[in-house]
Amino acid sequence: MVRRSSMRAVTIGTLAVSCLIAAACVGSIGSSSSGTQGPGGSGPNGTGPTASGPNGGGSSGAATNSAAPSGAGNGSPGVGMQPVAALHKLTIAEFTNSIHDLLGSNAPVPSQLEPDQQLDGFRSVSASVVSISPMGVANYEAAINAATQFAFSSAMQAATVLSCVPASTTDAACSLSQALSAFGRRALRRPMTPADVTRYASVAADIAQGPGGNILMGLQHAVAAILQSPDFLYRVELGAPSAQDAGRTKYNDFEMASRLASALWVSVPDDTVLNAAAAGALSTSTGVLAQAKTMLASPNAHRSFANFVSDLYGMDPSSGTTFMTTIKDPKFFPSWTMTLPLAMQQELFMRVDDVAFTGDYLSLYDSPTVFVNNELALLYGLPKAAVDGFRKVTFPQGSPRLGLLGSGAILASNGLPQRTSPTLRGRFVAEQLLCKTVPPPPPTVNTSVLDTLPPNATVKATLEQHRQNPACAVCHAMMDPVGLGLENFDSIGAYRTTDKGLPIDATGVLDGVSFKDEASLGTALRNHPNAAPCFVSKLYEQLQGRMTLDVDAPVLATLAAQFGASGHRADQLLLDIVSSDAYRFVEGATR
Amino acid sequence: MSRAVLPRRTVLRGMIAAGVSVAVPLPRLQGMLNGNGTAYAGGALLPKRFGTWFFGNGILPPHWIPAATGVGSAWTLSPALQPLLEVKPWLQVVTGLAIKLPNISPHKAHPAAALTGFNSAADVQAPSIDQLMAPLVNAGATPPYPTGIHVGISNTSGAGALDLRISFRGPGASNPPEYDPANLFKTLLMYSGQSSGGATPAGPDPELARRKRVLDAVKDAAASLRARLGKDDQIRLDQHLTGVDQIETQIATLQAMKPVATNATLVDPSKAYPNMGAVGSITALRCKAMSDLIVFALATDLTRVFSYMFSCAACHGSYADAGLANATFHEDYGHRKLPAGEPGATEGFKTGVVYAMTNLNDTLVRMKNVPDGAGNLLDNSCVYVTSCTSESKSHSGLDYPILVAGKAGGTLKGDQHLRIVGDNVSKVPFTLLTAMGSKLTSFGNAEGMVTTGIPGLLA
Repeated sequence: MVRRSSMRAVTIGTLAVSCLIAAACVGSIGSSSSGTQGPGGSGPNGTGPTASGPNGGGSSGAATNSAAPSGAGNGSPGVGMQPVAALHKLTIAEFTNSIHDLLGSNAPVPSQLEPDQQLDGFRSVSASVVSISPMGVANYEAAINAATQFAFSSAMQAATVLSCVPASTTDAACSLSQALSAFGRRALRRPMTPADVTRYASVAADIAQGPGGNILMGLQHAVAAILQSPDFLYRVELGAPSAQDAGRTKYNDFEMASRLASALWVSVPDDTVLNAAAAGALSTSTGVLAQAKTMLASPNAHRSFANFVSDLYGMDPSSGTTFMTTIKDPKFFPSWTMTLPLAMQQELFMRVDDVAFTGDYLSLYDSPTVFVNNELALLYGLPKAAVDGFRKVTFPQGSPRLGLLGSGAILASNGLPQRTSPTLRGRFVAEQLLCKTVPPPPPTVNTSVLDTLPPNATVKATLEQHRQNPACAVCHAMMDPVGLGLENFDSIGAYRTTDKGLPIDATGVLDGVSFKDEASLGTALRNHPNAAPCFVSKLYEQLQGRMTLDVDAPVLATLAAQFGASGHRADQLLLDIVSSDAYRFVEGATR
Repeated sequence: MSRAVLPRRTVLRGMIAAGVSVAVPLPRLQGMLNGNGTAYAGGALLPKRFGTWFFGNGILPPHWIPAATGVGSAWTLSPALQPLLEVKPWLQVVTGLAIKLPNISPHKAHPAAALTGFNSAADVQAPSIDQLMAPLVNAGATPPYPTGIHVGISNTSGAGALDLRISFRGPGASNPPEYDPANLFKTLLMYSGQSSGGATPAGPDPELARRKRVLDAVKDAAASLRARLGKDDQIRLDQHLTGVDQIETQIATLQAMKPVATNATLVDPSKAYPNMGAVGSITALRCKAMSDLIVFALATDLTRVFSYMFSCAACHGSYADAGLANATFHEDYGHRKLPAGEPGATEGFKTGVVYAMTNLNDTLVRMKNVPDGAGNLLDNSCVYVTSCTSESKSHSGLDYPILVAGKAGGTLKGDQHLRIVGDNVSKVPFTLLTAMGSKLTSFGNAEGMVTTGIPGLLA
């Protein structure tokens, strides 16, 4: 990642600011760190991506007082051998889906689980480096115990989980080994080793034959043991040198099954995928592509993009603010209920699902298509339906509210309790949609420069200082103009033409392209040269579970070209990514 | 209460506010102690406890710093600290200290420095003080929750700050807080020895042994996996196994339980505070509910370590419960962005700090009110209180907010305002660690490193 460093020392008020201030506020596609969002952390040194933090701020290798980390975190990605994550903690979404796919969709999964964190805006990236806390492990145990109790509450229920249900520990027609091996292959995403089989079958036998035990109880606890093992709770993807690929380190067939299922279904692979792996069908790009296409046709594939945009569009609870409880002052926004943000989130998922599997994904940015229930329809100025429920509606031509930036979810989640924040909205566009890196405010920023304004100034006037003061402008120019283009929508996303009684001017320029309102901003965004490559880069990062590095530049360029050639088909992009060499080989692995 | 000496691992039964009885391990009964209540009858010293109590968004130094320095009647509480009057005898206010590590990321670098002493660059690199304290306070004992119980009130983050965490076992290894008092109550209630039918079972629940059998298999599987992993992933797996070991300790504790009397009360939050507000919201009732539970866990030796995240670094939550506007405390008050204007925002900010201190006082008073050994729980504890910045508007690291509450079994002074202008904040955690028995010769790294403490804090 190339950064030009600015050596200018800037004075704000009486405070001198060091040249730790960024760097050029230049957007670079695929730049690997955005220090402004989420925890933006590096994991244990030497593993996973090392984020250089917002300004390449000098972190020397950490010396901890507890278990010592290895190596030296050098904070500079893209140089030479890059560590790649091998142990991917299941996110809450993956865990929940896996439990449901393994134990039945009615299996209870308590919400009390170790919360996900985000790294560089993605839960999957954090999951590659974090450790689970003791309370988190206890919560998993409790959750798995509850789910397995349900699954083995009766022989009939157990029959929906196991390929056959042993009648006793010595049942020859359906042995413990047989039943648990078949289940274990799905849960562990690979065939059980003889040691695995012995380990789990003995749990079943010991407990079935122990005090108060019976065969169902034995099976329940054996399954609980499988699900509490790190082989289930983490995706173990190590790779090994592949003779047929000139010794390059490659993920084996079962590791590919695991990776495909995670990417396409946000869950464990099923027997068809595992059988393909057993047949060696996932060791070539063509084989992987064929399997991925089959998986894409499953209803579970709809989870893939929902999972991705949860992070990308800030809807996951781990993304900074809990969107569901975004605070809005009831004095200013009495219509902000408990249900409105839920409807907004639901709508956004529906919009994404509507374009991800057909047509041009980037049409999301200026499309007149919305999904509303009555509460959301009211906000959007659409008619009420006699029978409430979500329906697809198309805005008429010339509507001022088009596309993603007109959605309640984006407008409200990037707004403050009492007023809009063009800066937050602009930052969302810059970082999430255009892959620009916006540095954080200088540490000693003195916000009292904003105190001398009259209380009835428009938000636009309030932010003038961001653009007049050169110390602020260099970064705020990346955000404010775009955010100001959205000022026709208040902090909960309702349309308005005035702000404090003064007319709103939503005109602006996005990297040389003029826009006059939100709708035309959406089109400018859609046509922006960064838009497509950025989407590609973000999806790639999320699927790989690590930040993008310099070594990824060629594959990202190829993927971007293919994405363009297909007319921005997101489902095709997904297939292209998972069948690429970059997804099948472990690049520059260091352990 | 009987004065007969009881076996050390005898378990206690206590009364819960709702009338359910609870059995808990390791009593703090008078009958267990030596003649003057300062040690166990067997000669072992009473355990000390440690906690971090954290509030986000900093302070306004003129509002926070007490006018006079000194001990006892020589100093009085500042307006911000007024709510702590009842615990003043146990309180030390340390002012003037500075965070020496560069503030490369507002609301992140400073709290990381105050909690770990290390620079944070991209993320926290070192264990936080509570995790360093854990082995010290646990020495020789096996409390069921050795790495502590971690709670939080507000689950609204500070977007790009230290995120929703104040306790760190190491890089990438935090202890996320529990926000729901009902969940913590359920956890503590496990030690009640009650079956679902309400009757006390004759012996340990057989499911406990089955769970242990499962966990043994899990550890066996982990050992196989571990051999295939690289060093850093082995560390992560070891962290996971620490969790498994703790569950096994908890199971062993539950299996060994026998009912006896106790002086601690387990308060059912759904009955004591039925209208405490949504999980993750900031309300005084939620604070009280959490304080009740933490104090119970400490008093009954289920844990000797806690972290209490009232609000996270740069918390964007609302302090409406304090009477403020339903806005973000961070932006609208901390950074004075309230549309109504500056003077109102400043007054509101001060109100918010006083509100946080009121809730801190509730925690400390509850500790003070639990008899423990010859004195009370606060006598035997050390609570470290800090925030994510000093002056909130400017993100200053000067005159950093630091409080120390509790006498740590007679090793810490109380009732003092100590002002040391310009010295390193790291000296406080270093002093506290040393007071609690640490053999570390330094704390922190780079500009955050210190090798000496503040003797004035010690008794």
